[in-house]
Amino acid sequence: MVLLYLVWLLPLIGAIALWAFGPQLKSWAGPIGSALIFVPFAATVFLWNDAVAPHGLHAPLVSWLAGWDFGLQLDRLSLVWTLIITGVGFLIHVYSIGYMDGDRAFARFFAYMNFFVFAMLTLVLSDNVVGLLVGWGLVGLASYFLIGFWFYKPTAVSAARKAFVMNVVGDVGILFAIFLIVSRTGAIGYGAVFHAFTPVQSVFSPHDMFLIALGLFIGCAAKSAQVPLHTWLPDAMEGPTPVSALIHAATMVTAGVYLIARFAPLWSSSPDAQELTGVIGAVTALGGAILGCAQWDIKRILAYSTMSQIGYMIMGVGVGAYDAGVFHFLTHAFFKAQLFLGAGIVIHALANEQDVRRMGGLRKTLPFAFVAMLTGVLAISGVPGFSGFFSKDAVVYGALETGHPWLYAVGVLTAGITAYYMFRLLFVTFFGAYRGNVDPSDLGIRHPELAGTASTAASSGHHPEEEEPHHHAPSWLMSGPVAILILPTILIGWLDFGGAGSRWQQFFEGFFPHPSSIAYPPVELRGPGFMSSELLTTVVLLVVVVIGFAIAYVRYGASPALRGAISRLRTETIRMPGVLANAYYFDAAYEALFVKPAYALGRWFYRVVDPHVIDAGVREVPISAQWLGHLFRSFQTGLVRAYALTIAVGVVCFVAYYAFAFTGGAR
Amino acid sequence: MSVAPENYVGLSAVLFFIGVVGVIARRNPLIMLMSIELLFNASNLALVTYARAWVNNVGHIFAFLVITVAAAEAAIALAIVVVTFRSRRFVDVDEVSALKG
Repeated sequence: MVLLYLVWLLPLIGAIALWAFGPQLKSWAGPIGSALIFVPFAATVFLWNDAVAPHGLHAPLVSWLAGWDFGLQLDRLSLVWTLIITGVGFLIHVYSIGYMDGDRAFARFFAYMNFFVFAMLTLVLSDNVVGLLVGWGLVGLASYFLIGFWFYKPTAVSAARKAFVMNVVGDVGILFAIFLIVSRTGAIGYGAVFHAFTPVQSVFSPHDMFLIALGLFIGCAAKSAQVPLHTWLPDAMEGPTPVSALIHAATMVTAGVYLIARFAPLWSSSPDAQELTGVIGAVTALGGAILGCAQWDIKRILAYSTMSQIGYMIMGVGVGAYDAGVFHFLTHAFFKAQLFLGAGIVIHALANEQDVRRMGGLRKTLPFAFVAMLTGVLAISGVPGFSGFFSKDAVVYGALETGHPWLYAVGVLTAGITAYYMFRLLFVTFFGAYRGNVDPSDLGIRHPELAGTASTAASSGHHPEEEEPHHHAPSWLMSGPVAILILPTILIGWLDFGGAGSRWQQFFEGFFPHPSSIAYPPVELRGPGFMSSELLTTVVLLVVVVIGFAIAYVRYGASPALRGAISRLRTETIRMPGVLANAYYFDAAYEALFVKPAYALGRWFYRVVDPHVIDAGVREVPISAQWLGHLFRSFQTGLVRAYALTIAVGVVCFVAYYAFAFTGGAR
Repeated sequence: MSVAPENYVGLSAVLFFIGVVGVIARRNPLIMLMSIELLFNASNLALVTYARAWVNNVGHIFAFLVITVAAAEAAIALAIVVVTFRSRRFVDVDEVSALKG
């Protein structure tokens, strides 16, 4: 139990210490920050046996009001998250030592990262809904700090602000859900709250339960980048790449998946909520994948793929396939972290170049990054044997099993698109010839800072005088964590091998409520007699994935495509449909619906309310004082005898009044 | 032989009225000051009279307070009159109206 406090508090201590003594610690800040994440990881592994016990491990913190006990709770669900947060978090911390080397705010970076880990642990270890909301808000704050880490870049600052504002929209949704829960049950602990969701108790009407689920899901949608609150995630790539790997791929953005899995009793009792969540998840999966095909920035491609994969997870936990959704979180945490870290090696080696059109042929110069990205791409595309295959298969089969054939179809289609755009990324980046020395306008790139003076201007990060790219190899601090991540990227999927009796299913045996098969009868695919429905869905999925890969190969990987890469990329860039290049105009719509009216309102206050109400009110004070003074100055004659007469008359009046009042009143 | 309190109160009222008229009607500040002294002492007489009539020492004590205040007032007022006379060469109070609004 003491260990659990330690798991929770060590990152906070690290954050405070690194923040306070960062300048003194200098380059020690990185190792110290990493060690303070590794110790909680080791402690969590040590607590494994306690955590998998039926009710998990519980550690009380404080009591606030009667029945409002705050505490930490490590059960099987939070164990999975805690291990990923601290384990993958530790690897990314080590990677950051190499990646952030030489940054002028080295210690501040690790202070923020430790703070993020603390916030995320608060979220997943809390045993009540209020603590959950506290963690939920704190991870948003950590995300804001880290997206805007390079605060001298205006784009980073506005991206951080956007992420924070959209996340607060979600926080408010969760807040209202908590209001509803507390107003009906009076309790905040998970045990008491979930007890109230069971149909027998009937504390909540189905309508109430849907409203609570809706509030919680608004929070999920904001945090986990689900349509329509997803637009902050691609912009969040302005932060340093390790941040994108840890926060905006592996852990924080999957908090929505955790929330729905945690509130499984609620979702299982509310078919409407399941329907909504499943559909939004599927829409996000498909929409994100399509946008991934239209991007050229390596980190934005990965960001849209993250959005799409989280759509899968949300769809899985939404329709009631909780263990499948959580399993996809587990595998995704590994392969997406690895993809981002591999991309980070590429970006680092090319001096902050992120446009894949200006890469190409890096297979030979950066072989390690190629291997890392290749395994990641194989895993995310769902190639059999790699982790993503097992989890994605489990999610789409779960949709079918819980009676959502349309969601299944969308999931399969998305898998094909995923294979297409991920292999497109791989081919464009690592195959063919290096294009970094090609004039950007020949590639159809209209960089504002490169346009016009493309050949001579040395804008920051680009060195046109360097004909051959300066591909410095990654240090062992960066390659080591990636090498370690390759193992689970390939192997972790086998946990779910073997259907119902797999280790993963046994791990969560009896943890999640069973999907309510009354609302939606399971759908089975009928194929040739010798194939079970489960096997058939896998085959269908694989066929679609192969089609996606084949299209990517023909368009970007085959030798004719590689030879004409420059002209091809140029044509594609110019012919990119506006709806894709502008991400379905979500940003434009928000601009027109919220930002512009807010500015207009602000201008109206500036032009009308401020000068004519507030300023005028302030001006009225001296004006009225002046008027009052003008009124009374005529009494100041300067004649002493007039004053004396006034006093005398006043006294006479005064005395006369009281004389009449007392004598006359008494009668 | 004792005099009835009504006589003292009547005398006090007469003195007070003379003082009021003196302050309001005369323009010489010295006369005005003397009239103010009349006002004070008229009120003193009333206070002492009522104190004796009702066997209550508060009136006596208050009369002492008034005498103290009157002394302080006379000192300040005479100083003002002297300063005014030095700068203006005349002592008509109606001419001294620099603080007119």
